[in-house]
Order: sequence, then C-alpha cells, then structure tokens
Amino acid sequence: MSNIAGKAYAMNVITPIRWYTVWLNKLIFWAAQKMPSTLEGLITLSLIHYARWVIIGRNQFPRLDPKQPKENLQYSYMLFHSNFNGSWDQYVDSFTFAIPSGLDMFWKWNIRYPHSVALTPFHHYIRYNQIETTHYYSAYPLATSNDVKSAKSLKQKLIEFDALWGMEADDTVFLKQYNGLLRALQHDLGEMRPTPIVSMAATQVEKRLLREKRKMAEQEQVAAVE
Amino acid sequence: MPNVSGNAYALSVLSPIRNDKVGTVSRADLVRDRLEQWNRLQNSPMAKVPQTYLCRFFVLDDVYTESLPSAGALDTVTDFLPVVPNTLRVGVLPAQDRLQSKYLVFSSNFHGDLDTYLLGMWNAITAEIKDVWQHCYGFDQVNDANTFSAYIKKCQLPVTLFFVGSNDEPLEEQLKGLYLKQEFARFAVEHQGIPSAELKKAYRAFIARVQPTNLQGPTWEPGQYIMDKQRNVQQEAAL
Amino acid sequence: MTQPLDLTDIQADVIRASAHGGYLFARYVFFNIRDGEKGRAFVAAVAAEVTNAVIWEQGAATPPTVINIAFSYQGLKELGLPRASLNGFPDEFVMGMKARRAILGDNGPSHPDNWDPIWQANRVTRDKDVHIQVSINGKTPQDVEVRTQWLLALAGKPESGVFLLTGHRGPNGQQNLLYQDVHALFENGVPTPKEHFGYTDGISDPVFEGQPGEPWSAQGRGKQMADGSWAPLATGEFLLGHVDEAHEYPPAPQPQLLARNGTFMVYRKLHENVHAFDTLLEREAQTYPGGKELLAAKFVGRWRDNGAPLVSAPDAAAKAEWDQRFATATPQEQDRMLNGFTYDQDMSGSRCPFAAHMRRINPRASLQLKAGALPGQFVGNPGAFDTPGALANRRRIARRGLPYGDSTDRSSDRGNHGIVIMMLNADINRQFEFVQQQWINYGNDFRAANDKEILLGNHDKEFPSKAVLPVDPESEDVPYFVRNIPRLVETRGGEYFFIPSLTALRLIARGLVDPT
Repeated sequence: MSNIAGKAYAMNVITPIRWYTVWLNKLIFWAAQKMPSTLEGLITLSLIHYARWVIIGRNQFPRLDPKQPKENLQYSYMLFHSNFNGSWDQYVDSFTFAIPSGLDMFWKWNIRYPHSVALTPFHHYIRYNQIETTHYYSAYPLATSNDVKSAKSLKQKLIEFDALWGMEADDTVFLKQYNGLLRALQHDLGEMRPTPIVSMAATQVEKRLLREKRKMAEQEQVAAVE
Repeated sequence: MPNVSGNAYALSVLSPIRNDKVGTVSRADLVRDRLEQWNRLQNSPMAKVPQTYLCRFFVLDDVYTESLPSAGALDTVTDFLPVVPNTLRVGVLPAQDRLQSKYLVFSSNFHGDLDTYLLGMWNAITAEIKDVWQHCYGFDQVNDANTFSAYIKKCQLPVTLFFVGSNDEPLEEQLKGLYLKQEFARFAVEHQGIPSAELKKAYRAFIARVQPTNLQGPTWEPGQYIMDKQRNVQQEAAL
Repeated sequence: MTQPLDLTDIQADVIRASAHGGYLFARYVFFNIRDGEKGRAFVAAVAAEVTNAVIWEQGAATPPTVINIAFSYQGLKELGLPRASLNGFPDEFVMGMKARRAILGDNGPSHPDNWDPIWQANRVTRDKDVHIQVSINGKTPQDVEVRTQWLLALAGKPESGVFLLTGHRGPNGQQNLLYQDVHALFENGVPTPKEHFGYTDGISDPVFEGQPGEPWSAQGRGKQMADGSWAPLATGEFLLGHVDEAHEYPPAPQPQLLARNGTFMVYRKLHENVHAFDTLLEREAQTYPGGKELLAAKFVGRWRDNGAPLVSAPDAAAKAEWDQRFATATPQEQDRMLNGFTYDQDMSGSRCPFAAHMRRINPRASLQLKAGALPGQFVGNPGAFDTPGALANRRRIARRGLPYGDSTDRSSDRGNHGIVIMMLNADINRQFEFVQQQWINYGNDFRAANDKEILLGNHDKEFPSKAVLPVDPESEDVPYFVRNIPRLVETRGGEYFFIPSLTALRLIARGLVDPT
C-alpha cells in the first residue's frame, strides 16, 4: 500500500453531496475553468502535477452485469484525486494557509463540509474521507511538478539556443549568447535527487520493500548464473 | 470535454468487483493483493504503458459519510428554533450510505486520446490487465484490445474538473526535458568560467552526447528512480 | 496590539532572548532523574528561582541572572505526569530529536554517532536520559558561576534523586565537561553579536501579539500584509493556549494549565567548520565578480560586518550608502533598515539568492511568485494567496542561544566552536522540522529542485552540492554557481524540550498534573 511514488503523493478523497445540489457544484467547476483567475492560487502554489474532481451521481456507479446488485444510494459523491509534491501535511497546510476561499468554493456543497478555517476540523475532514492508494505510479518519481515545468522551458530554450548559436564561429559572440542562456535558465538549474522522506512510517515501509527487492534481484542473478 | 485539458487526458475508471468468493477469499482482496504484488516489482507494469504520466489503483470498499456537526443548512435552521424537536435534531444528521459492490478504481493521467492509450495499454501489459481485472463484472467478455477498450469505456466516469499543474506534453518530451535539465545543470556548473573557445568545444561535445532534439536518444526511463543509472550514462559518455 | 500577555506566567527566555537583554554568558546544565518524588522536590526548589518575563517590561529592573527550566518527554514521564497527559504531547516530542534524524538530515558528520557523549547516551539507557535542562544566563561569568554552585548544591545532595549529566565536549579534546557553556563573542574585550563565520547574528526574531516592546517592532518580524504593512504574528504560533494563525488553539496536552503559556524548544548544538568555510570563501572569491565580502553576504542574505540586508544593499556601493544612512538614523529607522524589508523588489533573487540562509528560513512573501515576462525573471503574483506571507507565516521560529567556543585558530575544522541554538515554536513538526527538511535541506519550494541552503544544508561528498546566485534578468551578468559546497555546520547533539509556564511548572513540581 503506498500513497507515494518518489516525490509524488496520491490523495483520494470521497465525500457525499446532496443529489439536488450536484448541478451547483458542476456549475462552480465549470465557472472555475472558464475564469482562470479562480485557479490562480492553485497555480501559484505549484505543488500539483495533475488533479481532478469527479462527481458520481448516485445512479452513475457503473453496472455491467445483471448479477451485479444495483446501488442504492441517497447521496451523490465527489471523488477527488490529486497528484502533488510534499507530504500530506505540507499539502493540506499550503492550501489552508494560502487559498482557503478556493478550497471552500470546491467543497462547499459537500455535506457538512467544515470550511477550511479553522485548520484542524478541515484536516479531520480530509483525513477521515481519504482512501489509501494501493498502487501508485509516476513516470518521473525524481521530479516535482516544478521540475517538469522547468524542464519543458529549459528544453525549449536549449534547442532554440542551439539552433541559433550552436555553430557560431565567433567565440566571443558564442560566450555572450551562452551567458544569456544561463541567465534565462537561472531558476532551472537545480539538481534533482531523491525526495526528502515523507514521513517516518513511509520510510520504514520503503526500507523493507527495498530490502526485499534487493534480495529478489540477487536471487534472480544467482538463478541466471546457474 | 472535461476529461481533457489540452492534450492531457484524465481517465477515471470504476470497475465493479464480483461479490462472490474464491475459496474463502473475497475477490476484492485478491485484486488488492495483486496490486500489492506490483509494489514489489522493480518497476510498475504501468511504466510500460505509453504516455502514462501518473496513475493509481485502489479498491473502493465503501463510501464514507464522515462529517462534522453544525455545518449543514438544516443545522442552521435548527439553530434558530427556540426548541428543537428530537426527530429534527436526529434528522439533520447525514444518512448512512452503503455501496452494494466494491469497485476497482483506476485513475490515470496521460497524454493523447483515449483509444490510442487503451490500445497501447492492452498491448503492453495484457497479462497484468487480466490478472487484476479478471475479478470484475463483465470482464469475462474481454479478450482483445477492442473489447478491453469497450469495457473500460463502460466503467469510465466523466471528469468534472481536470486541473493540469504541470503540462500536457507527450511523455517522451517530458522525460527528455527532465534528462536535459539534469544534464545541462551539471554541464553549466562544471564549465563555469572557462575560456570561450574551450567552452564552445565542450558545449558542442555536450550537445552531441545529449542530443536535445532526439527523443529516441539518451533520456530518462519511465518510472526511473535510481540515481546510479543516470550517473553511469554520464560516465560512459565521458570515456 | 491586542491583549498583553501574562508575563508573570511565562519564562523569561520565551518572551525575549536573554542575550538581547544583556545576558551575554549562559550555561546549560542537564539532569537525569532517578526518583520521581525527589525529582519533583528538586524541580520545586529550582522553580522558586525561575525568572519570569516581567523583567522585560519597560523600565523593569533586570536581575544578575535569568534562570529557566525545560523538560524532555522522558523527563516529564519520570516526574510522574499521568499517562493521559503524556499522550497529549506530539509524536516528535515523544520520540525526541535523535529518532527524527532522517527527517532532519542529521546524517554523515551530523549523525548521532558523532554527537557529544551526553547526547549520544541520551535515549539509550534510562539512567543517561536527558530529563531536565536548566539554563543560567548571566551578565558576567561570575554571576553564572554563583548560580551554578547553588544549582549543583541542590542537585548534589544525596537525597535529591537527581544526577548531573556530564559529557559535553570542550576546547582541549575533553569529552566529559559538566555543562555546556555559551557566550557572546568578544573582539578586543568588546562583546559582539557575531558568530564564528563572522556574521552578525540574532538581528531578527519573530514578533507576536502581546509581546512587550516597541509598537513598531513588527516591521519585518511579523507577517507581511497585502497593503504593505506588518502585523504581529498570532501568539499561538509560539505559545500554547493562545489562538494561532489558523484561528484555532494549537494541539496541546491536557490539562489546559499544563500547556497554557508553555512552548516547545528545539535544542541543537551546531559545530561550525570554520576552516572549510574560510577555504570555500577564499576559493570562490577568486572567481566571484563581486568579491569576497559580497560573496559572504550572498551566503546569508546580510553583510557580515553589520547585517545590512542584501535586498537593500545589493553591492558595495549601495552598502556604503546604506552604512551612511544607518549611522545617522533614529533607533526606529535603524530597526526598519535592518528588519523591515521585503523581497517584493527582488523576486528573481538577484540581490538575495534563493539559496541564502535568510531567504530559506524566512521567505517572507517571496513564495507568491510567477514567471515574469523576461527570461530568468520571477515576479510577484499579488492576490494569488489569502495574504502575501501565507506560506511563511506558520513556519516561523523564535531563536535563542549563543555561540560557544573559541575560533581564533581557524586552521582546522576539528576545533571546539559553534553555536547552541534553541528554537521556540508551538508545533515542532510544522515549524522547525518543516523548515529544516523542506527549506534548508531541499529546494523545491524555491524552484531549486534538491539544491540546499548554503550555510546549514547537509551537503555531502557523494553528491556534491552547488548553489545558484541569480542575477538581474535585465542585465548582461551571468548567474554564478558556488560549487562543491562542503558541510559547513554539523550537529553535535540536541533534543526536543517543553518549556512550561510558571503555573504548569509548579503543578509539575507538586505532582498535581491531572487532566480529569
């Protein structure tokens, strides 16, 4: 069981909504997409790779077989999936410190949502409605969302630079342009290494898994030799 | 289309798991166990599925109705009443909801369109897909890419809001970018202050090694987490 | 300012650093309790002499010494606090600093295997656990010595049930000194606010509601507001039992009287590798265009000699002009020059780099950023967050403590010199541990991937560290890389403590703590 893939954390939260306010929730989400300024805080926090909200109508749980019992729900449900960087505490804290009104806007129509200020009831709300991920995969566990964004910008600028100045004959001109490239990329030159530990508990489990994997790899090597 | 943001796609799949048992073990537990096995592999099987940015699997056992008191409209109404009849006091509490089946939740963020993705997924990890999904209702009809795709679409839920914090580039571009970022950062630091002629020479050798426009050239592997691998690439090139 | 605090109930060093009040010498004495009842009697005797914060009131007389007392989790247990109260303490406090080393980055040279013997032996066997810290702060060494004798006499009696823990390292290879001595560094007999790398230290300290002091002292020390003003931080960020920045009471153990007006203290002995520092500075100064002192300033964010902030004095010329203005400024204006600055005009970090010590431990409002129009430029993004300093306001730490040792001989790193820092916060995990792990030893929030803070980062040889010193995006300058940064500061010991209020202290001493 793991909510962590390198520097990414998988959060799943499921919360009930009254079926007759679902349309309101959807309206708010639609407005958020149309007016990018509402997501400005989220973008500035820069902690999220990808996140989504899925509203599941109470009659919309997939039913694929007559043998499958019909669902019999009184509420509709909102499923929130986030892929973010940092620990659970840092993430939830950042939101409540920086964009409490944004949080309220998205979760408002969930039943008995306690609002994001004060902090502890909100922590509890998320914690108790959170489901652990069993298997989590990131294509780039060494990279945060900041790194991925920075990498795109760096790749673009490097390719542009190379096209213009890569074959420059004059050394002085080349140096000047190269320095300009460094200046343009001065915030993109951090080196990526493994994540700081997310929690003591997670590290304990991770160490055990690593030991197991190493043992398995050794056994495979031995078997291959034989 | 809310599942899509630019070229990035948010796939949300809820596959109902069969209620019967295998021996004395529930199918939901078998699904969970299979997913746990994936955690013990050197790398996730999803690393082989093209264009996958980040994805997750878990089993949804039941819905939760945990909430905190005094945060609902009816609570406010009862606030104003001088006396609250007992039925009303209890009535404002949320009802207890239960799911009749458990669901395998598969949530994936990837680049491109759904059909291509599902085809790629089927072709890359057919055995693993069958392993995990075999316990779900309706999966017995799946025997090839087309039926798999149709099955997934039946289990798919539309996304209400998809927020893309990173970007929607093809995965190869993202990985190449990360590789270049790491390599160029090292290059820039190692070659600080050297004379311009030498710098230019070193730069050209660097470009020849990292091949910025060649996505098939040196780059990061999907799911790569081992530092040594990257160092070895650099050392090999230096020889 | 709102309701003033109950200064009679709060220990002196919590409200204000004794070092700033003229107490330039201090001695930290540690005890182990072998008998709960006798331990409580000892605590009662010490408690009678504990100094409260009334001495910081305007016009109050300051005694020759300030005595404060703090307890580790094991100490509270030995003193007989009920399980129901002990359970209310946070995990990190219960575990202790040594067990949290993976979070704090105390590895390699900072690993507990290299700590002073007293800290190595702590949390291994019961009889060597550090239970009580008594700090004796004095205006002269003689004042400290007098009180030390009184304290040792209290502990030394056979029936005291309290044992002095020894095992502090000293200047001549000693491994078993009786106490940890600290003192201001003197130059030609004159006390300075410097530490061993040569920086002027202790300039800034958070200001929270209810603290006595000048009405304008929140400038630069409190929280930055959207309209450009400064407000004191919520008291609950530093004192339990008061509302914090999240508009609630910080989680605290029961009963209320145990926690209220108390705080948590992180004690860390940090050795400074003065030779490695000098070497790094000399080496990099050869290639750094701005010269040695500007480079040294870039490591921290303040000029070494007088602490002028780089954002206000980004180069030698500006510094000269700053110095002139400072010399003729009023005390309030001087304070504003030193503290009341923002990073709003330096979002790209060309004046104070993102890797600088100051910017990493207190980014002020500089995390509310977005890419600017020019390549390599960051600009502010006003309005994105609830308040500009939203991400920093709940990560503040109050600092206490003084340097230790002598660094006249800078020819090696094996000398005995550094600082003992005691950090005060209401939530060790949210404040100290977060800053240590996420902002000092990691750089993602500063868009610097894993690059560490220059001075305190746990740089290692396996993956050589570097730091980027950005330049003005509108200039023709080149960003400078400080390369192969060695580990400049090493942990030599420490623990997490609880500093109770005077009320709580008396309850503990009488064995009356009961959350029923």
